[in-house]
Amino acid sequence: MINRTSIIKQPDKISFFYDVYKLQKEYQDSLISGKSNMNFIWLGEHQLCYTLGRGSNMDNLLFSEDEQDVFKIDRGGEVTCHMPGQLVTYLVLDLSNFNKDLNWYLRKIEKIIIKTLRSFNINCSTKDGFTGVWIGERKIASIGIGCKRWVTIHGFSINVNCKLENFNKIVPCGIEDCQMVNMSDYNKNVDIKEVKKIVKKIIHEEFNFNFVSE
Amino acid sequence: MSHEIFMPALSSTMTEGKIVEWLKNPGDKVERGESVLVVESDKADMDVESFQDGYLAAVLMPAGSTAPVGETIGLIVENQDEIASIQEQNKVKQVEVSSDAQLELPNKKPEIKEEKQKEVPQNNEQEVEIKREKVLSTSNEIQFNASTSNNSSRVIASPRAKKLASTMGVELAKVHGSGPHGRIQADDVLKANGQPVSIPWIGEGSSPASIGTPHIQAESKSETLGNSFGNPGETVQFNTLQKAVNKNMESSLNVPCFRVGYSINTDKLDNFYKKVKQNGVTMTALLVKAVAKTLKKHPQVNSSFSENGISYPENINIAVAVAMEDGGLITPVLKEPCNTDLFELSREWKDLVKRSRAKQLEPDEYSTGTFTLSNLGMFGVDRFDAILPPGTGAILAIASSKPTVVANNDGSISVKKIMQVNLTADHRVIYGADGASFLKDLSSLIENEPETLVA
Repeated sequence: MINRTSIIKQPDKISFFYDVYKLQKEYQDSLISGKSNMNFIWLGEHQLCYTLGRGSNMDNLLFSEDEQDVFKIDRGGEVTCHMPGQLVTYLVLDLSNFNKDLNWYLRKIEKIIIKTLRSFNINCSTKDGFTGVWIGERKIASIGIGCKRWVTIHGFSINVNCKLENFNKIVPCGIEDCQMVNMSDYNKNVDIKEVKKIVKKIIHEEFNFNFVSE
Repeated sequence: MSHEIFMPALSSTMTEGKIVEWLKNPGDKVERGESVLVVESDKADMDVESFQDGYLAAVLMPAGSTAPVGETIGLIVENQDEIASIQEQNKVKQVEVSSDAQLELPNKKPEIKEEKQKEVPQNNEQEVEIKREKVLSTSNEIQFNASTSNNSSRVIASPRAKKLASTMGVELAKVHGSGPHGRIQADDVLKANGQPVSIPWIGEGSSPASIGTPHIQAESKSETLGNSFGNPGETVQFNTLQKAVNKNMESSLNVPCFRVGYSINTDKLDNFYKKVKQNGVTMTALLVKAVAKTLKKHPQVNSSFSENGISYPENINIAVAVAMEDGGLITPVLKEPCNTDLFELSREWKDLVKRSRAKQLEPDEYSTGTFTLSNLGMFGVDRFDAILPPGTGAILAIASSKPTVVANNDGSISVKKIMQVNLTADHRVIYGADGASFLKDLSSLIENEPETLVA
């Protein structure tokens, strides 16, 4: 039976990366083992930390690992950076209930981000061969997904009004000279709480979810 | 006995995948459902699990290499004592995979071997030989990565270009990149390897009206019969769909229509299409997007006649004519293409075509068009004239894009791909100047900035 019920969590306080990672893993494991049929969505912010995908090249990290929090995690893509002022969205979804196609899923996520930014009058687009969402040559949102038995983990991050200098310590996504931008560069009054609301609404529209709180 | 681990398909469009990491080493015990390796497609990673309890006996493709979907990439055995014999059989491959000496091999261009293996390999050595060649070319890539990451002149290449380079044995460092910031594209690799870069024929891949074989080209020597619903001498009753089309077409006789045409240079569009085609983009989606974006600037051309006056629809919905194999035609609708990215639009279109052929469309999926496209480009027609569907104000007939000798403004002569389009419009609501300025902007969009059609 198709199940499109999802638990949603959207803490207002800044969350520690590893706690949320463990939480995602728990939901992913219970979906895989069949213990639960709840999808899980998390929207929030992290303290400054750097994460590496499994295929990441350590050369893209321009500092030594003990200077900052660095996590090597089970997602695709290169190194990225999280921090307050950046909205992180994780989706633990059983794609068997949607479309067992990771390309479809990545394009869907890009669409969610584009729709979100458009509702703040920010025009952005995808770039052929560079997954993520761009404003011209500048990157505003990054995507990294993991998947096991068609149950996804991780998701995407949108720069709302974060300290972009933190990206200078890495080669974001392994793309040299990749400039990052904030939503606030295009819409001064943008508020991360508002962005959160819109992302939630658009995820709801795109995936046709029933949201329940725990 | 051994069980094979295959390269999985992570998406319907994926033809090959990259092995990011083996989570198990040869000899390790694996449980059913346990992740054995990680495969990557774009920015998504997929854990590949073992389907039985046993031991990973052999890794046939090393981490970092790419393999076609369905290729055997590893072997699992049920009993520990089988490991040795499997490893013995696959010894050569294993050595190639793990040997560090590989990284110091002279960087000579490996020969491109025919990848096709015999169905029943009679000569085991030969099979091993082929595998070794593959491993050689991938280790070349590894070497390349290792050397470039040490100095600052990193070579930027698209994932597809990297794959091509590794399978063709092209050295990326020597390839001139034509992409943004000198990024190496797949075509650059093809060029460097001396292969022609094929520019697709416009209309290819869109195939809304392909009846029978898709290769209805002039030189086609096969004598396929044209479409017919009956035999000579018979009169065949119209089917329901044909009757409906007849009614719609007849109602256009009460509409004072005019036509206006334009010749559009598609060189840039063709180039752009060539780039996005691999991501599943269809020519129909591109044309629909271009038309919808232009309609947004020309609401008059999206309007229609009603008893009360000029009716302006709330949405821009593009209907596209699709011929049905058993007669009649249907016009599946792409709703609000301006709000859908090109990739999603292409997927929607493929889905609509599939379901319209299977007669599974909901009424609002074929009756809500505000503007219609009819594309006969795939048949090579140079121009044609469409009939206006009732309830709408205009329809655009799109012909084939053909190499044409063009006189340029500076007096020079060149050959460009030219596509003729022809707008049929209801003169009660759309006037000649409306239609003409719409076509002017459509042409300018297609000729000058087709890359903006992505979003």
